[in-house]
Amino acid sequence: MTKVNLISLQKTYHGQPDLVLKNFSLSVDDGEMVALLGPSGSGKSTLLKLITGIEHPDSGDIQFDGSSIVNVDPNKRGAVLMFQKSYLFPFLNVEDNIGFGLKVQGASSQTICAEVKRMLDLIGLPGIEKRNPGQLSGGEGQRVALARALVTNPKLLLLDEPLSSLDTSVRINLQEAIRKIQHELGVTTIFVTHDLGEAMAMSDRMALLLDGEIVAVDKPDALFHHPRSVAAAKFMGVSTFLNGDQLKVQNEAGCSSEKIFAIRPEHIRVQKDGCENSMPGVVSGCVFRGEYVEYQVTACEITVRARMPMPAPMFLNGERVFVKFPQEHLFEVNSAR
Amino acid sequence: MNKIYTFVLRFALYIIFAAPLALFIAYAFSTRWFFPQPFPSEWTNSAFISTLSDSRVFSGLRDSLVIAMIVSLLSLALGFPAARVLGLRQFRGRQIAWLILFLPTVVPPLAIGMGLNILFLQIGLAGSYVGVVIAHLIPTLPYVIFTLAGAYARYDENFEFQSLVLGASQARTFFTVTLPLIAPSLVVATLFAFIISWSQYLLTLFIGSGRIITLPILLFSAASGGNPVTIAILSLIFLAPPVLVIAATARQLNNNEGREQY
Repeated sequence: MTKVNLISLQKTYHGQPDLVLKNFSLSVDDGEMVALLGPSGSGKSTLLKLITGIEHPDSGDIQFDGSSIVNVDPNKRGAVLMFQKSYLFPFLNVEDNIGFGLKVQGASSQTICAEVKRMLDLIGLPGIEKRNPGQLSGGEGQRVALARALVTNPKLLLLDEPLSSLDTSVRINLQEAIRKIQHELGVTTIFVTHDLGEAMAMSDRMALLLDGEIVAVDKPDALFHHPRSVAAAKFMGVSTFLNGDQLKVQNEAGCSSEKIFAIRPEHIRVQKDGCENSMPGVVSGCVFRGEYVEYQVTACEITVRARMPMPAPMFLNGERVFVKFPQEHLFEVNSAR
Repeated sequence: MNKIYTFVLRFALYIIFAAPLALFIAYAFSTRWFFPQPFPSEWTNSAFISTLSDSRVFSGLRDSLVIAMIVSLLSLALGFPAARVLGLRQFRGRQIAWLILFLPTVVPPLAIGMGLNILFLQIGLAGSYVGVVIAHLIPTLPYVIFTLAGAYARYDENFEFQSLVLGASQARTFFTVTLPLIAPSLVVATLFAFIISWSQYLLTLFIGSGRIITLPILLFSAASGGNPVTIAILSLIFLAPPVLVIAATARQLNNNEGREQY
Protein backbone atom coordinates (compact mmCIF):
# COMPACT_ATOMS: atom_id res chain seq x y z
CA MET A 1 0.00 0.00 0.00
CA THR A 2 2.18 2.84 1.20
CA LYS A 3 5.79 3.33 2.18
CA VAL A 4 6.26 6.24 4.56
CA ASN A 5 9.42 8.29 4.88
CA LEU A 6 9.90 10.80 7.65
CA ILE A 7 12.97 12.89 6.93
CA SER A 8 14.73 15.14 9.46
CA LEU A 9 11.54 16.46 11.01
CA GLN A 10 11.91 19.34 13.43
CA LYS A 11 9.10 20.82 15.46
CA THR A 12 8.79 23.47 18.11
CA TYR A 13 5.55 24.73 19.56
CA HIS A 14 4.79 28.41 19.55
CA GLY A 15 6.32 30.16 22.53
CA GLN A 16 8.29 27.15 23.75
CA PRO A 17 12.04 27.09 23.24
CA ASP A 18 12.47 23.30 23.35
CA LEU A 19 12.35 21.21 20.24
CA VAL A 20 9.55 18.69 20.48
CA LEU A 21 11.10 16.70 17.65
CA LYS A 22 14.79 16.88 16.86
CA ASN A 23 15.96 15.81 13.43
CA PHE A 24 13.52 12.93 13.43
CA SER A 25 13.93 10.37 10.65
CA LEU A 26 12.14 7.08 10.25
CA SER A 27 10.97 4.99 7.36
CA VAL A 28 8.07 2.60 7.54
CA ASP A 29 7.69 -0.10 4.93
CA ASP A 30 4.61 -0.97 3.02
CA GLY A 31 2.25 -2.92 5.29
CA GLU A 32 4.58 -2.69 8.24
CA MET A 33 3.49 -1.93 11.78
CA VAL A 34 5.94 0.23 13.67
CA ALA A 35 5.48 0.99 17.35
CA LEU A 36 6.73 4.28 18.75
CA LEU A 37 7.55 3.73 22.38
CA GLY A 38 8.34 6.62 24.65
CA PRO A 39 7.39 8.34 27.88
CA SER A 40 4.86 11.16 27.82
CA GLY A 41 6.36 14.34 26.42
CA SER A 42 8.73 12.48 24.14
CA GLY A 43 7.06 13.82 21.01
CA LYS A 44 5.11 10.73 19.99
CA SER A 45 1.72 12.38 19.61
CA THR A 46 3.26 15.43 17.95
CA LEU A 47 4.77 13.18 15.33
CA LEU A 48 1.36 11.68 14.54
CA LYS A 49 -0.14 15.16 14.29
CA LEU A 50 2.57 16.13 11.82
CA ILE A 51 1.90 13.07 9.69
CA THR A 52 -1.86 13.73 9.60
CA GLY A 53 -1.29 17.42 8.87
CA ILE A 54 -3.02 18.76 11.98
CA GLU A 55 0.33 20.33 12.84
CA HIS A 56 3.09 21.48 10.49
CA PRO A 57 6.78 20.67 10.86
CA ASP A 58 9.27 23.55 11.15
CA SER A 59 11.54 21.72 8.75
CA GLY A 60 11.96 18.29 7.24
CA ASP A 61 9.80 16.28 4.91
CA ILE A 62 7.09 13.64 5.07
CA GLN A 63 6.78 11.37 2.04
CA PHE A 64 4.16 8.79 1.13
CA ASP A 65 5.54 6.48 -1.57
CA GLY A 66 8.29 8.94 -2.36
CA SER A 67 6.18 12.05 -2.87
CA SER A 68 6.09 14.83 -0.32
CA ILE A 69 2.75 15.46 1.40
CA VAL A 70 3.82 18.29 3.67
CA ASN A 71 1.75 20.80 1.73
CA VAL A 72 -1.28 18.55 1.30
CA ASP A 73 -4.36 19.34 3.43
CA PRO A 74 -5.11 16.86 6.26
CA ASN A 75 -8.32 15.73 4.58
CA LYS A 76 -6.51 14.79 1.35
CA ARG A 77 -3.60 12.87 2.85
CA GLY A 78 -5.29 9.55 3.47
CA ALA A 79 -3.60 9.17 6.84
CA VAL A 80 -6.23 8.39 9.47
CA LEU A 81 -5.67 8.83 13.16
CA MET A 82 -7.24 6.95 16.02
CA PHE A 83 -6.99 8.39 19.52
CA GLN A 84 -6.99 7.08 23.05
CA LYS A 85 -10.69 7.92 23.22
CA SER A 86 -12.89 6.71 20.40
CA TYR A 87 -14.20 10.18 19.46
CA LEU A 88 -17.25 8.64 17.85
CA PHE A 89 -19.56 11.47 16.86
CA PRO A 90 -22.20 11.40 19.62
CA PHE A 91 -24.98 12.64 17.34
CA LEU A 92 -24.53 9.77 14.84
CA ASN A 93 -25.24 6.08 15.32
CA VAL A 94 -22.61 3.40 14.75
CA GLU A 95 -23.50 2.97 11.08
CA ASP A 96 -23.25 6.68 10.30
CA ASN A 97 -20.05 6.97 12.32
CA ILE A 98 -18.33 4.21 10.37
CA GLY A 99 -19.80 5.48 7.12
CA PHE A 100 -18.65 9.07 7.77
CA GLY A 101 -15.50 8.85 5.67
CA LEU A 102 -17.28 7.13 2.79
CA LYS A 103 -20.10 9.65 2.82
CA VAL A 104 -17.55 12.45 2.65
CA GLN A 105 -16.07 10.77 -0.40
CA GLY A 106 -19.53 10.72 -1.95
CA ALA A 107 -20.15 6.97 -1.88
CA SER A 108 -23.69 5.73 -2.56
CA SER A 109 -25.81 4.68 0.39
CA GLN A 110 -25.80 1.02 -0.76
CA THR A 111 -22.00 1.02 -0.86
CA ILE A 112 -21.82 2.61 2.56
CA CYS A 113 -24.30 0.11 3.99
CA ALA A 114 -22.37 -2.86 2.58
CA GLU A 115 -19.00 -1.50 3.67
CA VAL A 116 -20.23 -0.77 7.19
CA LYS A 117 -21.49 -4.33 7.44
CA ARG A 118 -18.17 -5.68 6.19
CA MET A 119 -16.24 -3.59 8.72
CA LEU A 120 -18.52 -4.59 11.61
CA ASP A 121 -17.92 -8.26 10.72
CA LEU A 122 -14.20 -7.58 10.58
CA ILE A 123 -14.11 -6.02 14.05
CA GLY A 124 -16.29 -8.77 15.43
CA LEU A 125 -19.33 -6.66 16.30
CA PRO A 126 -21.94 -7.55 13.66
CA GLY A 127 -25.45 -6.14 13.93
CA ILE A 128 -24.79 -3.04 16.06
CA GLU A 129 -25.42 -0.56 13.19
CA LYS A 130 -28.26 1.29 14.89
CA ARG A 131 -26.71 1.67 18.34
CA ASN A 132 -25.61 5.03 19.65
CA PRO A 133 -22.00 5.60 20.73
CA GLY A 134 -23.20 6.11 24.31
CA GLN A 135 -24.42 2.52 24.41
CA LEU A 136 -21.01 1.04 23.61
CA SER A 137 -18.41 -0.12 26.11
CA GLY A 138 -14.89 1.33 25.95
CA GLY A 139 -13.56 -1.63 24.00
CA GLU A 140 -16.50 -1.65 21.59
CA GLY A 141 -16.09 2.08 21.06
CA GLN A 142 -12.45 1.61 20.10
CA ARG A 143 -13.35 -1.22 17.72
CA VAL A 144 -15.93 0.97 16.03
CA ALA A 145 -13.39 3.81 15.86
CA LEU A 146 -10.97 1.38 14.19
CA ALA A 147 -13.66 0.39 11.70
CA ARG A 148 -14.38 4.05 10.97
CA ALA A 149 -10.68 4.66 10.36
CA LEU A 150 -10.19 1.63 8.12
CA VAL A 151 -13.37 1.78 6.04
CA THR A 152 -11.94 4.44 3.72
CA ASN A 153 -9.00 2.19 2.90
CA PRO A 154 -6.41 4.66 4.20
CA LYS A 155 -2.83 4.83 3.01
CA LEU A 156 -1.61 4.98 6.55
CA LEU A 157 -3.15 4.14 9.91
CA LEU A 158 -1.94 6.07 12.94
CA LEU A 159 -2.85 4.85 16.40
CA ASP A 160 -2.28 7.21 19.32
CA GLU A 161 -2.35 5.04 22.44
CA PRO A 162 -5.66 3.55 21.33
CA LEU A 163 -5.80 1.02 24.15
CA SER A 164 -4.45 2.86 27.16
CA SER A 165 -7.84 3.81 28.57
CA LEU A 166 -9.10 0.21 28.56
CA ASP A 167 -9.07 -2.55 31.16
CA THR A 168 -6.24 -5.07 30.91
CA SER A 169 -8.36 -7.96 29.66
CA VAL A 170 -10.08 -5.85 27.00
CA ARG A 171 -6.74 -4.39 26.05
CA ILE A 172 -5.05 -7.71 25.38
CA ASN A 173 -8.09 -8.80 23.42
CA LEU A 174 -7.94 -5.68 21.28
CA GLN A 175 -4.18 -5.88 20.84
CA GLU A 176 -4.67 -9.20 19.12
CA ALA A 177 -7.67 -7.94 17.14
CA ILE A 178 -5.88 -4.84 15.85
CA ARG A 179 -2.79 -6.82 14.93
CA LYS A 180 -4.88 -9.40 13.08
CA ILE A 181 -6.92 -6.81 11.19
CA GLN A 182 -3.79 -4.85 10.33
CA HIS A 183 -2.21 -8.01 8.91
CA GLU A 184 -5.34 -8.92 7.00
CA LEU A 185 -5.69 -5.53 5.35
CA GLY A 186 -1.95 -4.97 5.04
CA VAL A 187 -2.28 -1.33 6.01
CA THR A 188 0.90 0.53 6.91
CA THR A 189 0.58 1.45 10.58
CA ILE A 190 2.36 3.62 13.10
CA PHE A 191 1.38 2.85 16.63
CA VAL A 192 2.17 5.06 19.60
CA THR A 193 2.30 3.62 23.09
CA HIS A 194 4.11 3.90 26.38
CA ASP A 195 3.56 0.24 27.19
CA LEU A 196 6.58 -1.95 26.40
CA GLY A 197 4.61 -5.17 26.38
CA GLU A 198 2.05 -3.74 24.00
CA ALA A 199 4.72 -2.40 21.67
CA MET A 200 6.51 -5.74 21.55
CA ALA A 201 3.34 -7.76 21.09
CA MET A 202 1.95 -5.68 18.24
CA SER A 203 4.77 -4.34 16.13
CA ASP A 204 7.08 -5.51 13.37
CA ARG A 205 9.62 -2.95 14.46
CA MET A 206 9.88 -0.65 17.45
CA ALA A 207 11.25 2.86 17.59
CA LEU A 208 12.28 4.10 21.02
CA LEU A 209 11.71 7.80 21.49
CA LEU A 210 13.22 10.08 24.11
CA ASP A 211 12.98 13.88 24.14
CA GLY A 212 12.07 14.03 20.46
CA GLU A 213 14.89 11.82 19.30
CA ILE A 214 15.02 8.20 18.24
CA VAL A 215 17.14 6.18 20.63
CA ALA A 216 16.92 2.93 18.72
CA VAL A 217 14.89 1.24 16.00
CA ASP A 218 14.81 -2.50 15.55
CA LYS A 219 12.75 -5.65 15.74
CA PRO A 220 11.27 -6.18 19.22
CA ASP A 221 13.27 -9.32 19.98
CA ALA A 222 16.55 -7.76 18.84
CA LEU A 223 15.94 -4.69 20.99
CA PHE A 224 14.91 -6.82 23.93
CA HIS A 225 17.95 -9.07 23.90
CA HIS A 226 20.60 -6.66 22.69
CA PRO A 227 19.83 -3.01 23.25
CA ARG A 228 22.89 -1.09 22.06
CA SER A 229 22.79 1.91 24.41
CA VAL A 230 22.03 2.65 28.04
CA ALA A 231 18.95 4.64 27.04
CA ALA A 232 17.63 1.83 24.85
CA ALA A 233 18.33 -0.72 27.55
CA LYS A 234 16.40 1.34 30.08
CA PHE A 235 13.44 1.38 27.70
CA MET A 236 13.55 -2.38 27.55
CA GLY A 237 13.34 -2.74 31.30
CA VAL A 238 17.04 -3.01 32.16
CA SER A 239 17.96 -1.09 35.29
CA THR A 240 21.30 -2.54 36.28
CA PHE A 241 24.38 -1.04 34.66
CA LEU A 242 27.87 -1.82 35.77
CA ASN A 243 31.11 -0.27 34.65
CA GLY A 244 34.33 -2.14 34.25
CA ASP A 245 35.61 -1.11 37.68
CA GLN A 246 32.63 -2.55 39.44
CA LEU A 247 32.89 -5.76 37.49
CA LYS A 248 36.60 -6.05 38.19
CA VAL A 249 35.67 -6.91 41.72
CA GLN A 250 34.45 -10.20 40.46
CA ASN A 251 36.12 -10.73 37.11
CA GLU A 252 39.61 -9.66 36.10
CA ALA A 253 39.34 -10.62 32.47
CA GLY A 254 38.89 -7.94 29.80
CA CYS A 255 37.21 -5.18 31.79
CA SER A 256 38.18 -1.61 31.15
CA SER A 257 36.63 0.97 33.43
CA GLU A 258 35.10 2.96 30.54
CA LYS A 259 32.99 0.11 29.30
CA ILE A 260 29.44 -0.22 30.57
CA PHE A 261 27.75 -3.56 30.92
CA ALA A 262 24.07 -4.21 31.38
CA ILE A 263 22.08 -7.19 32.54
CA ARG A 264 18.35 -7.92 32.48
CA PRO A 265 16.73 -8.14 35.93
CA GLU A 266 15.56 -11.71 35.36
CA HIS A 267 19.14 -12.85 34.80
CA ILE A 268 20.49 -11.54 38.08
CA ARG A 269 20.61 -14.06 40.90
CA VAL A 270 20.29 -13.22 44.56
CA GLN A 271 21.77 -15.88 46.79
CA LYS A 272 22.94 -16.54 50.31
CA ASP A 273 26.47 -17.65 49.53
CA GLY A 274 29.17 -15.90 47.56
CA CYS A 275 30.63 -17.51 44.51
CA GLU A 276 32.43 -16.55 41.31
CA ASN A 277 30.99 -13.44 39.58
CA SER A 278 29.06 -12.25 42.61
CA MET A 279 29.25 -9.23 44.88
CA PRO A 280 28.07 -8.79 48.46
CA GLY A 281 25.12 -6.58 49.23
CA VAL A 282 22.18 -5.87 51.50
CA VAL A 283 18.54 -6.49 50.62
CA SER A 284 16.77 -3.12 50.63
CA GLY A 285 13.46 -4.13 49.11
CA CYS A 286 11.44 -7.22 48.36
CA VAL A 287 8.15 -7.37 46.45
CA PHE A 288 6.24 -10.57 45.85
CA ARG A 289 4.62 -10.48 42.40
CA GLY A 290 3.26 -13.98 42.08
CA GLU A 291 5.25 -15.30 39.17
CA TYR A 292 8.44 -13.82 40.49
CA VAL A 293 9.94 -11.99 43.45
CA GLU A 294 11.51 -8.61 42.89
CA TYR A 295 14.54 -7.90 45.02
CA GLN A 296 16.33 -4.62 45.48
CA VAL A 297 19.86 -5.12 46.64
CA THR A 298 22.32 -2.38 47.48
CA ALA A 299 25.75 -3.56 46.46
CA CYS A 300 28.89 -1.53 45.75
CA GLU A 301 27.01 1.78 45.97
CA ILE A 302 24.51 0.82 43.28
CA THR A 303 21.01 -0.52 43.56
CA VAL A 304 20.50 -3.77 41.75
CA ARG A 305 17.01 -4.90 40.81
CA ALA A 306 16.64 -8.60 40.34
CA ARG A 307 13.66 -10.73 39.37
CA MET A 308 13.82 -14.22 40.76
CA PRO A 309 11.31 -16.65 39.24
CA MET A 310 9.23 -18.62 41.70
CA PRO A 311 10.02 -20.69 43.59
CA ALA A 312 12.72 -18.33 44.83
CA PRO A 313 14.64 -18.22 48.08
CA MET A 314 13.09 -15.66 50.41
CA PHE A 315 15.27 -12.96 51.94
CA LEU A 316 14.25 -10.29 54.41
CA ASN A 317 15.01 -6.58 54.25
CA GLY A 318 18.47 -5.86 55.66
CA GLU A 319 19.70 -9.39 55.10
CA ARG A 320 23.24 -9.81 53.77
CA VAL A 321 23.24 -11.57 50.42
CA PHE A 322 25.30 -11.93 47.26
CA VAL A 323 24.13 -10.83 43.82
CA LYS A 324 25.42 -12.88 40.95
CA PHE A 325 25.77 -11.57 37.40
CA PRO A 326 26.15 -14.62 35.17
CA GLN A 327 28.84 -13.93 32.60
CA GLU A 328 26.81 -15.19 29.65
CA HIS A 329 24.03 -12.63 30.28
CA LEU A 330 26.18 -9.52 30.59
CA PHE A 331 26.23 -7.36 27.46
CA GLU A 332 28.07 -4.19 26.62
CA VAL A 333 26.12 -0.96 25.97
CA ASN A 334 27.06 2.52 24.79
CA SER A 335 26.76 5.31 27.27
CA ALA A 336 25.86 7.69 24.43
CA ARG A 337 22.39 7.73 22.99
CA MET B 1 -43.11 16.32 56.53
CA ASN B 2 -40.24 17.08 54.28
CA LYS B 3 -42.43 16.33 51.28
CA ILE B 4 -45.09 18.79 52.34
CA TYR B 5 -42.45 21.40 52.94
CA THR B 6 -41.01 20.96 49.44
CA PHE B 7 -44.47 21.03 47.95
CA VAL B 8 -45.38 24.28 49.70
CA LEU B 9 -42.13 25.92 48.69
CA ARG B 10 -42.52 24.81 45.12
CA PHE B 11 -46.07 26.04 45.01
CA ALA B 12 -45.05 29.40 46.46
CA LEU B 13 -42.40 29.71 43.82
CA TYR B 14 -44.90 28.97 41.06
CA ILE B 15 -47.26 31.60 42.50
CA ILE B 16 -44.53 34.22 42.54
CA PHE B 17 -43.80 33.57 38.88
CA ALA B 18 -47.37 33.14 37.73
CA ALA B 19 -49.21 35.79 39.78
CA PRO B 20 -48.27 38.83 37.68
CA LEU B 21 -49.28 36.92 34.58
CA ALA B 22 -52.66 36.08 36.08
CA LEU B 23 -53.14 39.70 36.97
CA PHE B 24 -52.34 40.80 33.42
CA ILE B 25 -54.84 38.31 32.04
CA ALA B 26 -57.48 39.48 34.49
CA TYR B 27 -56.95 43.11 33.56
CA ALA B 28 -56.71 42.52 29.82
CA PHE B 29 -59.90 40.54 29.46
CA SER B 30 -62.23 42.13 32.02
CA THR B 31 -64.59 45.08 31.86
CA ARG B 32 -65.75 45.36 35.45
CA TRP B 33 -63.54 44.59 38.41
CA PHE B 34 -64.00 46.47 41.64
CA PHE B 35 -62.05 46.27 44.85
CA PRO B 36 -63.67 43.72 47.17
CA GLN B 37 -64.34 41.19 44.41
CA PRO B 38 -61.65 38.52 44.13
CA PHE B 39 -62.31 38.00 40.40
CA PRO B 40 -63.59 40.26 37.63
CA SER B 41 -67.33 40.01 37.21
CA GLU B 42 -67.51 40.50 33.45
CA TRP B 43 -65.12 39.23 30.82
CA THR B 44 -64.52 40.57 27.28
CA ASN B 45 -61.88 40.39 24.57
CA SER B 46 -62.87 43.60 22.82
CA ALA B 47 -60.12 45.69 24.41
CA PHE B 48 -57.57 43.07 23.45
CA ILE B 49 -58.75 42.95 19.83
CA SER B 50 -58.86 46.70 19.48
CA THR B 51 -55.33 47.03 20.88
CA LEU B 52 -54.07 44.33 18.54
CA SER B 53 -55.61 46.03 15.54
CA ASP B 54 -53.96 49.33 16.45
CA SER B 55 -51.45 49.93 13.65
CA ARG B 56 -48.80 51.23 16.09
CA VAL B 57 -48.96 48.03 18.10
CA PHE B 58 -48.76 45.92 14.96
CA SER B 59 -45.75 47.79 13.57
CA GLY B 60 -44.12 47.80 17.02
CA LEU B 61 -44.51 44.05 17.23
CA ARG B 62 -43.14 43.62 13.72
CA ASP B 63 -40.16 45.94 14.31
CA SER B 64 -39.33 44.29 17.62
CA LEU B 65 -39.42 40.83 16.05
CA VAL B 66 -37.36 41.78 13.01
CA ILE B 67 -34.76 43.67 15.07
CA ALA B 68 -34.49 40.88 17.65
CA MET B 69 -34.02 38.25 14.97
CA ILE B 70 -31.40 40.22 13.05
CA VAL B 71 -29.60 41.01 16.30
CA SER B 72 -29.63 37.33 17.31
CA LEU B 73 -28.16 36.24 13.99
CA LEU B 74 -25.52 38.96 13.99
CA SER B 75 -24.56 38.24 17.61
CA LEU B 76 -24.04 34.60 16.73
CA ALA B 77 -22.02 35.42 13.64
CA LEU B 78 -19.82 37.85 15.56
CA GLY B 79 -19.73 36.03 18.88
CA PHE B 80 -19.03 32.52 17.58
CA PRO B 81 -15.42 33.06 16.43
CA ALA B 82 -14.62 35.15 19.51
CA ALA B 83 -16.08 32.50 21.83
CA ARG B 84 -14.17 29.73 20.07
CA VAL B 85 -10.84 31.46 20.49
CA LEU B 86 -11.55 32.49 24.09
CA GLY B 87 -12.76 29.02 25.03
CA LEU B 88 -10.19 26.90 23.22
CA ARG B 89 -6.96 28.88 23.11
CA GLN B 90 -4.53 30.28 25.60
CA PHE B 91 -2.90 33.46 24.40
CA ARG B 92 -1.32 36.61 25.71
CA GLY B 93 -3.95 39.22 26.56
CA ARG B 94 -6.75 36.68 26.90
CA GLN B 95 -7.86 38.14 30.24
CA ILE B 96 -7.92 41.64 28.78
CA ALA B 97 -9.99 40.42 25.85
CA TRP B 98 -12.47 38.91 28.32
CA LEU B 99 -12.62 42.14 30.25
CA ILE B 100 -13.26 44.29 27.21
CA LEU B 101 -15.93 41.96 25.89
CA PHE B 102 -17.63 42.04 29.25
CA LEU B 103 -17.55 45.77 29.80
CA PRO B 104 -21.07 46.28 28.42
CA THR B 105 -22.52 44.15 31.21
CA VAL B 106 -21.09 46.39 33.93
CA VAL B 107 -21.23 49.82 32.28
CA PRO B 108 -24.72 51.30 32.83
CA PRO B 109 -26.85 51.16 29.67
CA LEU B 110 -27.57 54.87 30.14
CA ALA B 111 -23.89 55.69 29.68
CA ILE B 112 -23.62 53.47 26.63
CA GLY B 113 -26.81 54.94 25.21
CA MET B 114 -25.70 58.55 25.66
CA GLY B 115 -22.27 57.90 24.19
CA LEU B 116 -23.61 55.94 21.26
CA ASN B 117 -26.24 58.58 20.59
CA ILE B 118 -23.61 61.29 20.20
CA LEU B 119 -21.47 59.05 18.01
CA PHE B 120 -24.38 57.89 15.86
CA LEU B 121 -25.67 61.43 15.41
CA GLN B 122 -22.28 62.35 13.98
CA ILE B 123 -22.09 59.44 11.57
CA GLY B 124 -25.77 59.57 10.65
CA LEU B 125 -26.90 56.29 12.21
CA ALA B 126 -29.20 57.84 14.81
CA GLY B 127 -32.86 57.13 14.20
CA SER B 128 -32.10 54.30 11.78
CA TYR B 129 -32.78 50.58 12.04
CA VAL B 130 -29.09 49.87 11.38
CA GLY B 131 -28.18 52.09 14.34
CA VAL B 132 -30.63 50.34 16.65
CA VAL B 133 -29.38 46.90 15.59
CA ILE B 134 -25.77 47.89 16.23
CA ALA B 135 -26.72 49.36 19.60
CA HIS B 136 -28.52 46.14 20.58
CA LEU B 137 -25.42 44.10 19.75
CA ILE B 138 -23.58 45.77 22.63
CA PRO B 139 -25.59 44.10 25.40
CA THR B 140 -26.26 40.85 23.51
CA LEU B 141 -22.70 39.99 22.46
CA PRO B 142 -21.26 39.44 25.96
CA TYR B 143 -23.96 36.89 26.75
CA VAL B 144 -23.56 35.08 23.45
CA ILE B 145 -19.79 34.99 23.84
CA PHE B 146 -20.01 33.90 27.46
CA THR B 147 -22.41 31.04 26.71
CA LEU B 148 -20.49 29.76 23.68
CA ALA B 149 -17.06 30.19 25.28
CA GLY B 150 -18.30 28.03 28.14
CA ALA B 151 -19.32 25.38 25.65
CA TYR B 152 -15.97 25.62 23.90
CA ALA B 153 -14.07 25.30 27.17
CA ARG B 154 -15.62 21.83 27.53
CA TYR B 155 -15.17 21.13 23.84
CA ASP B 156 -12.69 18.63 22.45
CA GLU B 157 -11.08 19.66 19.18
CA ASN B 158 -10.09 16.07 18.46
CA PHE B 159 -13.61 15.52 17.11
CA GLU B 160 -12.77 18.00 14.38
CA PHE B 161 -9.35 16.44 13.77
CA GLN B 162 -11.05 13.08 13.50
CA SER B 163 -13.39 14.45 10.85
CA LEU B 164 -10.53 16.11 8.95
CA VAL B 165 -8.38 13.00 8.77
CA LEU B 166 -11.41 11.02 7.63
CA GLY B 167 -11.45 13.25 4.57
CA ALA B 168 -13.95 16.00 5.41
CA SER B 169 -13.02 19.55 4.40
CA GLN B 170 -12.82 22.37 6.96
CA ALA B 171 -16.23 23.69 5.93
CA ARG B 172 -17.84 20.28 5.98
CA THR B 173 -16.32 19.57 9.38
CA PHE B 174 -17.76 22.82 10.68
CA PHE B 175 -21.28 22.02 9.53
CA THR B 176 -21.36 18.28 10.20
CA VAL B 177 -19.28 18.04 13.37
CA THR B 178 -18.71 21.37 15.11
CA LEU B 179 -22.25 22.73 14.82
CA PRO B 180 -24.04 19.59 16.02
CA LEU B 181 -21.64 19.31 18.97
CA ILE B 182 -22.11 22.90 19.99
CA ALA B 183 -25.83 23.04 19.13
CA PRO B 184 -27.33 23.06 22.64
CA SER B 185 -25.24 26.06 23.66
CA LEU B 186 -25.94 27.69 20.33
CA VAL B 187 -29.67 27.49 21.05
CA VAL B 188 -29.19 28.98 24.52
CA ALA B 189 -26.99 31.78 23.16
CA THR B 190 -29.54 32.63 20.47
CA LEU B 191 -32.27 32.70 23.09
CA PHE B 192 -30.27 35.08 25.23
CA ALA B 193 -29.59 37.39 22.31
CA PHE B 194 -33.22 37.34 21.22
CA ILE B 195 -34.65 38.06 24.66
CA ILE B 196 -32.13 40.79 25.47
CA SER B 197 -32.77 42.56 22.18
CA TRP B 198 -36.51 42.00 22.46
CA SER B 199 -36.74 43.65 25.88
CA GLN B 200 -34.32 46.48 25.07
CA TYR B 201 -35.89 49.82 25.93
CA LEU B 202 -33.21 52.37 26.76
CA LEU B 203 -30.93 51.80 23.80
CA THR B 204 -33.83 51.73 21.36
CA LEU B 205 -35.10 54.99 22.82
CA PHE B 206 -31.72 56.73 22.58
CA ILE B 207 -30.61 55.47 19.19
CA GLY B 208 -34.07 55.23 17.65
CA SER B 209 -34.61 58.93 18.49
CA GLY B 210 -38.33 58.30 18.69
CA ARG B 211 -38.49 57.14 15.08
CA ILE B 212 -38.06 53.43 15.78
CA ILE B 213 -41.05 52.39 17.85
CA THR B 214 -40.60 48.88 19.23
CA LEU B 215 -42.94 47.13 21.61
CA PRO B 216 -41.00 48.09 24.80
CA ILE B 217 -41.22 51.76 23.76
CA LEU B 218 -44.98 51.45 23.41
CA LEU B 219 -45.22 49.58 26.67
CA PHE B 220 -43.25 52.20 28.57
CA SER B 221 -45.26 55.06 27.19
CA ALA B 222 -48.48 53.20 28.06
CA ALA B 223 -47.12 52.54 31.54
CA SER B 224 -46.48 56.22 32.11
CA GLY B 225 -49.96 56.91 30.71
CA GLY B 226 -51.42 54.80 33.47
CA ASN B 227 -54.20 52.82 31.74
CA PRO B 228 -53.96 49.38 33.39
CA VAL B 229 -55.91 47.61 30.63
CA THR B 230 -53.56 48.81 27.89
CA ILE B 231 -50.53 48.02 30.04
CA ALA B 232 -51.82 44.52 30.68
CA ILE B 233 -52.60 43.87 27.02
CA LEU B 234 -49.26 45.19 25.80
CA SER B 235 -47.47 43.19 28.48
CA LEU B 236 -49.16 40.02 27.33
CA ILE B 237 -48.23 40.73 23.71
CA PHE B 238 -44.72 41.54 24.87
CA LEU B 239 -44.47 38.24 26.74
CA ALA B 240 -45.76 36.00 23.97
CA PRO B 241 -42.77 35.63 21.62
CA PRO B 242 -40.11 34.92 24.28
CA VAL B 243 -42.38 32.41 25.99
CA LEU B 244 -43.10 30.73 22.66
CA VAL B 245 -39.41 30.62 21.77
CA ILE B 246 -38.46 29.12 25.12
CA ALA B 247 -41.30 26.61 24.97
CA ALA B 248 -40.25 25.56 21.47
CA THR B 249 -36.62 25.06 22.42
CA ALA B 250 -37.05 23.68 25.94
CA ARG B 251 -37.71 20.17 24.70
CA GLN B 252 -34.74 20.26 22.39
CA LEU B 253 -32.51 21.60 25.15
CA ASN B 254 -33.50 18.78 27.47
CA ASN B 255 -33.08 16.13 24.78
CA ASN B 256 -29.65 17.35 23.88
CA GLU B 257 -28.25 17.51 27.36
CA GLY B 258 -26.07 14.47 26.82
CA ARG B 259 -24.46 15.77 23.68
CA GLU B 260 -21.82 17.90 25.28
CA GLN B 261 -20.83 15.30 27.80
CA TYR B 262 -19.23 12.98 25.28
